[in-house]
Amino acid sequence: MMRDITLGQFFPGNSPLHRLDPRMKIILTVAYIVAVFLADSVGGYALLILFTAFLVSISGIKVSVVLRGVRPLIYVIAFTSIVNIFFTVGDTPLHLWKITIYLEGIVTAAFRVERIWKLLIGTSGLLTHTTTPIALTDAIERLLSPLRVIHVPVHEFAMMMTIALRFIPTLLKETDKIMSAQKARGADFSTGKLIDRAKALIPILIPLIISAFRSADELATAMECRCYRGGNGRTRMTCLKLSAIDFVGLFVMAAFIVGVLAVNVHLPVYTV
Amino acid sequence: MSSIRFDNVSYIYAKGTPFEKEALDGVSIELDEGMTIGIIGHTGSGKSTMAQVMNGLIKPDSGDVYIHGENIWADPKNIKKYRFIAGLVFQYPEYQLFEETVYKDIAFGPKNMGLDDAEIDARIKWAAGTVGITADLLNKSPFDLSGGQKRRVAIAGIVAMRPSIMILDEPAAGLDPRGRDEILSNIIRYQRESSSTVIMISHSMEDMARYCDKILVMNHGKVFRYGTPAEIFSDSDSLENIGLAVPQITRVMRRLKQLGNDVNTAVYTVDEAHREILRLIGGDGK
Repeated sequence: MMRDITLGQFFPGNSPLHRLDPRMKIILTVAYIVAVFLADSVGGYALLILFTAFLVSISGIKVSVVLRGVRPLIYVIAFTSIVNIFFTVGDTPLHLWKITIYLEGIVTAAFRVERIWKLLIGTSGLLTHTTTPIALTDAIERLLSPLRVIHVPVHEFAMMMTIALRFIPTLLKETDKIMSAQKARGADFSTGKLIDRAKALIPILIPLIISAFRSADELATAMECRCYRGGNGRTRMTCLKLSAIDFVGLFVMAAFIVGVLAVNVHLPVYTV
Repeated sequence: MSSIRFDNVSYIYAKGTPFEKEALDGVSIELDEGMTIGIIGHTGSGKSTMAQVMNGLIKPDSGDVYIHGENIWADPKNIKKYRFIAGLVFQYPEYQLFEETVYKDIAFGPKNMGLDDAEIDARIKWAAGTVGITADLLNKSPFDLSGGQKRRVAIAGIVAMRPSIMILDEPAAGLDPRGRDEILSNIIRYQRESSSTVIMISHSMEDMARYCDKILVMNHGKVFRYGTPAEIFSDSDSLENIGLAVPQITRVMRRLKQLGNDVNTAVYTVDEAHREILRLIGGDGK
């Protein structure tokens, strides 16, 4: 149930993807997203699929786990493809029963679905599955640190993000526990009219909000006990340093983008 | 007749992820009826999972669970019924209170059972009395009470459902010695008065020796031993091997024996030790 949500969860490991510097990983993820949008031919998509499969295979994370993380968004994907199939007008009409759809619509839908999938796997899947939340926010803080010049409180933003990420599993666990406790008292969350189901959430939400405030309060006290007073003058225990593997990663990604562009230009079998 | 019976029950947490963990591993056990049964075990030995499997909050991956001889997963639609028969009090149950008044919070369970208002009212008053909640507290907000009182209110919420089997996961955790004694003796009183079965998870060997008729020892998701406190605590070596210990007073008696005193070491509560030492020194307690 609640604990089965894998989207954005970190899985420990020692794959090349795990060992990349988190800053480099974020930059490469952005490059990957650009590549996903650059690919607009069948050849480009094929290359994209191959490359994503390659990334998943070297990440050491089970394919089933990656796919399960994407599952909650199946409705968005379904909606997008239906819209594309029925609302795209093209040159090749297909008569299905009384409805006319166009071949272009189906192709566009397939491409869009493919694009959403790849985006999700690349970002949520591979980035967050192979990077600890702490490393991720650390990297974001470093990448955004030039903004400090124009007085953007970069450290504070990063700290807020760290705390928010840190509490997601805690709150999920707490929700699970409270739900079980109320179920033990005969609460029912899955049957009844919509209004009854909404009402059934009260016994979960109130204890959950109280517990969230309690956790926040305890955390604030704990931070103050350790003399936390914001980012000015703070040093780090672990310093991020680029190594050979990061440059290999950069090279592989650059080669991939060049490949996608080349395939788009030279093999435009079917472009959208 | 058994209260709860496990037949080769296994359960794995987070199946299919790298965090997968076998919480119960082929557990087969028949728990007695009409007595207080303690469950002890190291952290992560499967005690809390076992409690949730007992009342059908967790469906085991394999194996069958029987309550009063009925297979509870025979028809999954009926599972709610068994949650009222086997009432489960979670660890730190005071964190699930949500209503405006103590009265309404205790009423949550009985209301879900579909009882009529007069019956619910009677049950709330009876349950509050059983756990030692005075009538003037019933109209207060549960959030204004002290920690110990909140705990009692939460337990009353389950008592009001009048379960014939009551399962408690560390009911006395985090309470001071006095609150601890009061809560545990209230639970025992409930057990005697309603001649129900109480199953209690605890880390305190002293509480187990004092209140339980039978003890179930869990280790790494398996049943290690099941028997009377005397049977369990007479074998201190194997208990220590799995990271548990006998009650401290038993250790004192063993040491007395080692020092050459002719005492009985099969003593598990302070009262028994008191009598035994008086016998030894030939006094009559005055």
